[in-house]
Amino acid sequence: MTDWWDYHLIDFLLFSTRVYYRLFASFNLAFWPVNLALYLAGAGLVVLVLRSGTGAGADRQRWLCRLVPVILALMWAWSGAVFMGYYYQPINWAVPYVLPLFGFETLMLAVFAVRKTPLQFCWRGDFSSMAGVALLVLAIPVYPFFSLFSGRDMMAAELFGSAPDPTMIGTLGLLLLARGTWRWILLPAPVLWCLITSLTLWAMDQDIAWLPLVAAWLAILGGWMDAKSGVTRKPVATPPGRLNSTHHQTDKVGFIE
Amino acid sequence: MTFADISRRTFLTGAARLGAVAFAGAGVPFMGMARAQQVVSGSGGLHRKIPASGETIPAIGLGSWITFNVGNDPVLLKNCADVMGAFFAGGGKMIDSSPMYGSSQATIGHGLAALGIARDQVFATDKVWTGDENGGAEQIAQSAKNWGISRFDLLQVHNMLDWEDQLPMLQAKKAAGELGYIGVTTSHQRRHELLSVIMQREPLDFIQVTYNPLDRAVENRILPMAQERGIAVIINRPFRGGHLTKALRGKALPGFAGDYGAQSWAQLILKYIISHPAVTCAIPATTKVDHVRENLAAAMPDKGGNAGKTDILPDILPDEKMRHAIANAIGDAL
Repeated sequence: MTDWWDYHLIDFLLFSTRVYYRLFASFNLAFWPVNLALYLAGAGLVVLVLRSGTGAGADRQRWLCRLVPVILALMWAWSGAVFMGYYYQPINWAVPYVLPLFGFETLMLAVFAVRKTPLQFCWRGDFSSMAGVALLVLAIPVYPFFSLFSGRDMMAAELFGSAPDPTMIGTLGLLLLARGTWRWILLPAPVLWCLITSLTLWAMDQDIAWLPLVAAWLAILGGWMDAKSGVTRKPVATPPGRLNSTHHQTDKVGFIE
Repeated sequence: MTFADISRRTFLTGAARLGAVAFAGAGVPFMGMARAQQVVSGSGGLHRKIPASGETIPAIGLGSWITFNVGNDPVLLKNCADVMGAFFAGGGKMIDSSPMYGSSQATIGHGLAALGIARDQVFATDKVWTGDENGGAEQIAQSAKNWGISRFDLLQVHNMLDWEDQLPMLQAKKAAGELGYIGVTTSHQRRHELLSVIMQREPLDFIQVTYNPLDRAVENRILPMAQERGIAVIINRPFRGGHLTKALRGKALPGFAGDYGAQSWAQLILKYIISHPAVTCAIPATTKVDHVRENLAAAMPDKGGNAGKTDILPDILPDEKMRHAIANAIGDAL
């Protein structure tokens, strides 16, 4: 009996680099208004999240903590259904096995959008915040230019919000800027995707193959440091500047869960 | 007289005669081996005989691994149809695919329909690739649908996956006239032990293995066994998935390459492969029309004084001594 583990990683790479990147060109050409809108919406959200840590009003925090998961859910649903389902699946028979990751993440983000105790997104000035911003910078302004650096057309750019890789990396960045223990339920799907895409890019001999892997590692490291410092269990009302303090407030606002 | 004592010209003349005799339908010895597969054809270049039936096929086929997996991209689908068009125009016949190759089967189906290729113009070769003991027949039906045909000429158990269940199923289909030939494939040297067991135990028409001047493990046991047992041999990954020709790009061809009409490393490699007497067909894959023509030309008479002479075809292939020289030249160039 010959079994599945008889294969090497390279045996499962069934498409050429050219075909893979042409998928993004076709995707962007066909749906550029949606992809551009999601990209700009994502970039705008990140700016608002980063500014919310600098004395933003409670009103903005209230709707931002709902809007971020809603937009992220739309991104995951769009990327999973259209790019993965329609463009990627015909050249990669393994896609149906990873589509549940997209479905799960979309569902969980939707749950967080309506949950009684929402996630709080803000700049805290700690390691996780810095790592999160680094990942968002990589995912949003930097990632599209890899297409140009690699000699491909800008139309083949992978955009945050529609292409899986920058969307996963950006999601990890936002999770690092969030507070709340339950946010880590959103971690496995993008981390798993980062591992899968790193292996794919590595098999295709791409220079950026290590980037998703580093993104996943940073997200896990940031999560571990947050858990260690207890920052995720601080009360909702704790000002960002006091999140790293060991002094626990006992107000009645409630703890992040 | 030993084989080493035979001069190149003596060998080639003899081989040409043997080829001409084989073309007439006679089973004759080749290089002292039990079964001859070499045949000369006036058009479409070198043909080889399938031992199980005596049917002949061109020695250069067309693979589809990676190259034809282009999804729904209309530009790339047309590009693949152009490659197929050049392949058929050059006398090619065997196209190989697998359910494992993504959209390659559908791409072939698209090309066959777009080009209006008659069913008898193509030697449709595919595989069954499933660990589900009852899933093979259903997968074959889907593969045939993707190709747009009702019957495959050859079906192989891909990488011998679940061969204990899939081979009997293929044997039953062959007995019922639902396919022409059956076989097994592997691209891994570490599977050769199992392959040899299956070759001894099962009535195979074809095997498909990896062979090129750098991957020569099959020369020791598998190819001689195939000759001995009358099993046709398909060679996959002749260029190591393109890495070999890429590594040789820009390197000077050895001086003797011209003696066999080889204009490129790709042609020299293909000549090395198809000159082995056990080899029936090599299936290089490509996305370029120029390359498919170049590959087919490796088994064609040269355009000089030999053009039009059907009995000169074996002159384009190296003898055993020169085959070693080719392997050494490639090793030195890398």
